[in-house]
Amino acid sequence: MVPTQTLRKHPPLQENLLLILHELQNGSGRNYLTEEDLQAVAEYLNITRAAVYGVATYYSMLSVKPRGRHVIRLCKSPVCDMMGAPGVTRILEELLGVAVGETTPDGVFTLEESACLGRCDSAVSMMIDGQYYGALDAPALARIIGRFRRG
Amino acid sequence: MAEAHPAETRITLRNVGSIDPEKIEDYLNAGGYRSLAKARAMPREAVIEELVAASLRGRGGAGFSAGLKERFTRQATAPPAPPAPPAPVYVVCNADEGEPGTFKDRIIMERDPHLLIEGILIAAHAIGAARAYIYIRAEYDTSIRRVRRALEQARERGFTGGNGASPGAGGAVEIEIRLGAGSYLCGEELTLLESLEGKRGYPRIKPPFPAEVGLFGAPTLVNNVETLATIPAIIDRGAAWYTGLGTPDSPGTKIFTVSGDVARPGYYEVELGTTLRELIFGFAGADKLKAVLIGGAAGTFVDASVLDTPLCYDALKEKGAVLGSGAVIVMADGRSLRRMTTSILEFFEHESCGKCVPCRVGMTLLVRMIRRKEPLEALVRESEYMAANSLCPLGQSPILPLRSLARYFPAEIDGSEG
Amino acid sequence: MSTGKRSTVHIDGREISALEGSNLLQVARENGIDIPGLCYHKRLSPTGACRLCVTRIEGRPGLVMACTVAVREGLRVTAFDDELEEARRHTLDYLLAEHDDDYDGTWRDELRELTDRYGLTDPAARRYPNICREIGYHADESSPVLTYDAAKCIKCFRCIKACEEIQGKSVLSFSERGIASHIIAGFDRWEESECDGCGECVQLCPTGALVEKPHRATIRLDRLERKVISTCPYCGVGCQIELNVQEGRIVRVNGVEDFSPNYGRLCVKGRFGCDFVAHPARLTTPLVRRQGELVPVSWDEALTLIAERFGAIRDGHGPDALAGYASAKCTNEDNYLFQKFVRRVFGTNNLDYCTRLCHASTVTAMLRSIGDGAGTNSIEDFARTDCLFVTGNNMIETHPVTATYVKAGVRTGMKLIVCDPKWTPLVKHAHIWLQPRLGTDVALLNGMIRQIFEEDLVDRQFVDERIQGGQDALRELRLQVEAYTPEVVETITTVPADLLVEAARTYARAPTAMIATGMGMSQQVTGTNNVFALINMMLITGQIGRERCGIDPPRGQNNVQGATDVGCSPRLFPGYIPVTDEANRTRMAALWGVSGEVLPADPGLSTVEIMHAAHEGRVRGLYIMGENPMVTDPDLNHTRESLERLDFLVVQDIFETETTRYAHVVLPAASFAEKEGTFVNSDRRVLRVRKAVESPGEAREDWRILVELAERMGAPIGQYESAREIFEEIARAAPMLGGISYGRIETEGIQWPCPAADHPGTATLFLERFNTPDGRAILNPVDHVEPGERSSERFPFILNSGRLLYQYHSATMSRRNNSLNSFVNESYVLMNPLDARRQELSDGERVRLYNGRGELTTTLRASKEVAPGELFMPWHFSESPVNNLTRGELDPLSRIAPFKLSACAVERVSTHTVRGQ
Repeated sequence: MVPTQTLRKHPPLQENLLLILHELQNGSGRNYLTEEDLQAVAEYLNITRAAVYGVATYYSMLSVKPRGRHVIRLCKSPVCDMMGAPGVTRILEELLGVAVGETTPDGVFTLEESACLGRCDSAVSMMIDGQYYGALDAPALARIIGRFRRG
Repeated sequence: MAEAHPAETRITLRNVGSIDPEKIEDYLNAGGYRSLAKARAMPREAVIEELVAASLRGRGGAGFSAGLKERFTRQATAPPAPPAPPAPVYVVCNADEGEPGTFKDRIIMERDPHLLIEGILIAAHAIGAARAYIYIRAEYDTSIRRVRRALEQARERGFTGGNGASPGAGGAVEIEIRLGAGSYLCGEELTLLESLEGKRGYPRIKPPFPAEVGLFGAPTLVNNVETLATIPAIIDRGAAWYTGLGTPDSPGTKIFTVSGDVARPGYYEVELGTTLRELIFGFAGADKLKAVLIGGAAGTFVDASVLDTPLCYDALKEKGAVLGSGAVIVMADGRSLRRMTTSILEFFEHESCGKCVPCRVGMTLLVRMIRRKEPLEALVRESEYMAANSLCPLGQSPILPLRSLARYFPAEIDGSEG
Repeated sequence: MSTGKRSTVHIDGREISALEGSNLLQVARENGIDIPGLCYHKRLSPTGACRLCVTRIEGRPGLVMACTVAVREGLRVTAFDDELEEARRHTLDYLLAEHDDDYDGTWRDELRELTDRYGLTDPAARRYPNICREIGYHADESSPVLTYDAAKCIKCFRCIKACEEIQGKSVLSFSERGIASHIIAGFDRWEESECDGCGECVQLCPTGALVEKPHRATIRLDRLERKVISTCPYCGVGCQIELNVQEGRIVRVNGVEDFSPNYGRLCVKGRFGCDFVAHPARLTTPLVRRQGELVPVSWDEALTLIAERFGAIRDGHGPDALAGYASAKCTNEDNYLFQKFVRRVFGTNNLDYCTRLCHASTVTAMLRSIGDGAGTNSIEDFARTDCLFVTGNNMIETHPVTATYVKAGVRTGMKLIVCDPKWTPLVKHAHIWLQPRLGTDVALLNGMIRQIFEEDLVDRQFVDERIQGGQDALRELRLQVEAYTPEVVETITTVPADLLVEAARTYARAPTAMIATGMGMSQQVTGTNNVFALINMMLITGQIGRERCGIDPPRGQNNVQGATDVGCSPRLFPGYIPVTDEANRTRMAALWGVSGEVLPADPGLSTVEIMHAAHEGRVRGLYIMGENPMVTDPDLNHTRESLERLDFLVVQDIFETETTRYAHVVLPAASFAEKEGTFVNSDRRVLRVRKAVESPGEAREDWRILVELAERMGAPIGQYESAREIFEEIARAAPMLGGISYGRIETEGIQWPCPAADHPGTATLFLERFNTPDGRAILNPVDHVEPGERSSERFPFILNSGRLLYQYHSATMSRRNNSLNSFVNESYVLMNPLDARRQELSDGERVRLYNGRGELTTTLRASKEVAPGELFMPWHFSESPVNNLTRGELDPLSRIAPFKLSACAVERVSTHTVRGQ
């Protein structure tokens, strides 16, 4: 979606900044905010570039750096950590061939860590884009990643 | 685990599992929005005093009286001087549930979103607000969807928007959803207001409190999801009924979310005063207990000696523990508390906004210290300095787990274990 | 917030009286209790970030930051004890752990001072390992004027707040969070951000994370010779600047805190525009033209020649064959002696300067309506009034520091209406933007006046009590504007009817309202009428005569106001007394020690008229002090011919200019930084100018040159030891300055009228009466007249001209600063993208603009800032002289020229292909 269409859905008030940034990031299919996006937002809201960029870099779910088509957010809260997150991380890194913070060369996945996802009753958990996955183990991970690769 | 455990006392979770959260009819059939009608027929002050009488304490973690918050907000609101429009006042629902080990608000929003909306509308009536915001963390995809759907239905039915006029408020109550974007600190009420205004999540200087100077500088009532979702029941059945539950200093019920080394992790709404033993052994099925972390990362470690202490604000305080958000993380024998503590401190470092020096530098130093296996007392000393000198509750948090560790597990961090 | 009430607070047992609501940390410091603190600054809202001003307060739990506490009665504070000092040392230790200690002596470092105070200078005394390198901080050196080094940054928010709260720009933010957070401008690349280089952030940075780039390699704080407080030589705000001098050169400029008009604020020109003073192209000796070349000669030779030649013209053709251009850039003392010289030595009133080219129409209309041509208010009022109507005034670029007050006002609820045919940055802050076609201001304002009548928003009591003719005059005005219905006005101006109605209501209904009017209004053939219409609207709504109400024409140059105040006018003696006033002439003659007949009694020629007269041979000798008509005057081809026809032209300046090319003698003058004196700013405040450095070569102060030349022409104009003595004479000559003396304006200037030594000066004019004979204001109903110059098939565009933030006037000074040039140093023309497409022109192309009067080439920029059919060009760049295209046609009332409206055509500059291929 071009930025202007997304922008016009919201009144031009700074209080809508986070909503707009989410929509631009998720609606673009790019999973990150380009400088063109940020510039359009600044102009639309009549605020400075730094006001937009400062917000975009403060919040961990927003990115101003290119990311893959799917963003994996692995929970590294104390609970998931205790319940096996480090092992899950290793498995994921092997499956994807990238380390945490990196994007697969084919541009399909970006692997990130997240603060508590609030799914502690099914630790270890992760999100891929908007979808949750809990009780993760090696077979489950292989299945899930495989499905995304095929899709 | 939608089914309630027979020993639970479900008030805020009463509809969970028995209604379809996407159908307002289900909620109405279960008696929904009855309390709203009752509240709107009451004078604002009467609603506020009912909540004060119920001694409902904020369920987000800080435990401040919800009724008093409303009273203060109401008092800070300038009386309208016709023909000028009434000065704005807001209700903000804090649905930025980020405390590790906590997911009670998510359950309410996913399973019974109308209950939250009804609670917000009653609070809005009480303080005379025409506008309310629900600030939901963006990680809660399902919650966002369900609340959004519920708001559409509430509007169609006239509970919000144009037809929801509450007497004397001068019109309708509009409720809007706003999203977080990955910041634990935005769960702190003043920081949340900054974020709601579209800014970086920095805490504000306190005082003034939000009841006086809140969103867009206007008096603002900020309440947690669970707190607001408790209000309809109190209005429906009265303060006297509510104070009959729980203990004198901690009346009512609380949702606890139990995770870690238990057979049945999940959420349990019980009367305050229930013991930790009942909760984690009886309900959740713990075994071979080493430690429990109560209240999440900004919580406290306890050992088995606390198992028979009632879960309520004062009794836990005596044990050097806090109730906090209701997170209960169970660690069985063999678990490393160093590892758990390291994870907690790394989390704090990641979430420190960087505004004040003690928290910004202190969090980084603490992580380095624990990785270098420095003695626990050194960490406690830093955390004490941070607690005394930091700007907001985040910098005041590490002292909770660290000091409780020193009390219950003094040898754990210094040892070679982990 | 202060309530004006005093309370008693106890700090460490000391009883201190302070204003209730004032900041505790500030109060403590002002009383000598030096509580440390790095994030607090008295000009900023408290932040509470550095945690160094930690105290304990009776009745409050825990530690409390003094900077976050408002003083109230009975406050009991512990500011110093072992525990608090230990907490501070702990915090400093933390700061040092993330901080890069390197220090090169180029900035004052508040962190270093505290590090010393708490005994942490030796790294061995610190408890925590330094982790600065591991964090991997970066530096941003891309700005032309400053550098940011995150490793030196203590994240105190002072720069961010300086930019937002003081300058109203909000260009800065933090990026990332936690220990990795660092300051950014724009998208983390300073040079591409909206930063306009004012350097407020640099001035407020406590640690040298932000430092000026210019002179960074030379400046060393321990080698500074002196710091001299003076007045900025650029626009008419009159900012107080502190010139830092090292090895005889100005190496740094800071804003002076605590005093009006700027209270520490500066713009990019004020802070980074003083390098011209030491520029190698400065004139250092007198020059005389021989065989077409200007060659260096001695002062004696030059002055002898001038005295002879001017004397011969005076004696051969009469005094009125001579004329003088005074200077809006020179001091009052220089200008006062210049008018004295022209009147006493030449014996003519052919005396004017560039005010005729900017605000003459404004002043004419104001003099006729309300009796004074100066601004009615103080700069602070721009933040305090309820509604501000800014018309034809690109304030953010032309008066950047005044604009900071406006932006602050908007933040606290002031309604801002901007009226301008061209988008200006102020539009971003405006509630209403009216965009009339060029040359239709009277129609717009008459429309607003009609609407005010329609809605009965007239202040009847004000009309009865303070307007000549009361209700009758009002009826006459009403008749005159009756035809200007919103719909009619929309067709004339293109301003939507509903917007006009809203603007009229907003202005008229505001409890207090002010007007800022600029060149867009004045530089038209209808300039005086434009301002009459504006004043009519102000008068009928009673938006003058009270505090925070009135009309203010911000002055474009540092001393435009003062030069007229001290009599550089063909019609007025010092103090705005007409030359025709015989009693005054006698008084002046007595003051000057001459007989009354010596002083000319008839009004002289004005700026453009002098050029016309030169063209016709009626004026044969011209003395120009610090002006550059070959850039600033309209219709430059005509101006050049005029100058060429002069028998004798003397130009006195600090640089060779476009005008010195035509001079017979060029005299080297001292710059503002090399002399004592005073300027008068836009709010009538008389401000001191002080000598900071020596003049280069043989350059001399203007007034000394005048004194000596008068001597040689046999008509001495006085013996003065110093500028101070001249000012004492000015105070006697101009009654409104009578109470002002150097002694009284040592730290802060005084606003005239100040008639007596015990008079405090006047912040707002006309509170009691207007300066008209009967004390009442006069309505001057006017009609819209279609501009005489219109677009045609041959010349389809209307060209507007104006100024830029980074350059100034004819650029003689500003373009001799690399810092300013690195922002903008070339001419361009703005054209609406629709027009550009229609003309098949693209952004960045070279184009030729031409009309019947002349032509120029420049670069095209397609921009929505201008409406279709209109063009805009900055006029600073002499290689693309806008005034080749402007007209010499004058406003009949004020003799101002219409710089804002010239029909012209635009074509691509053909790029020739090499023949024969």
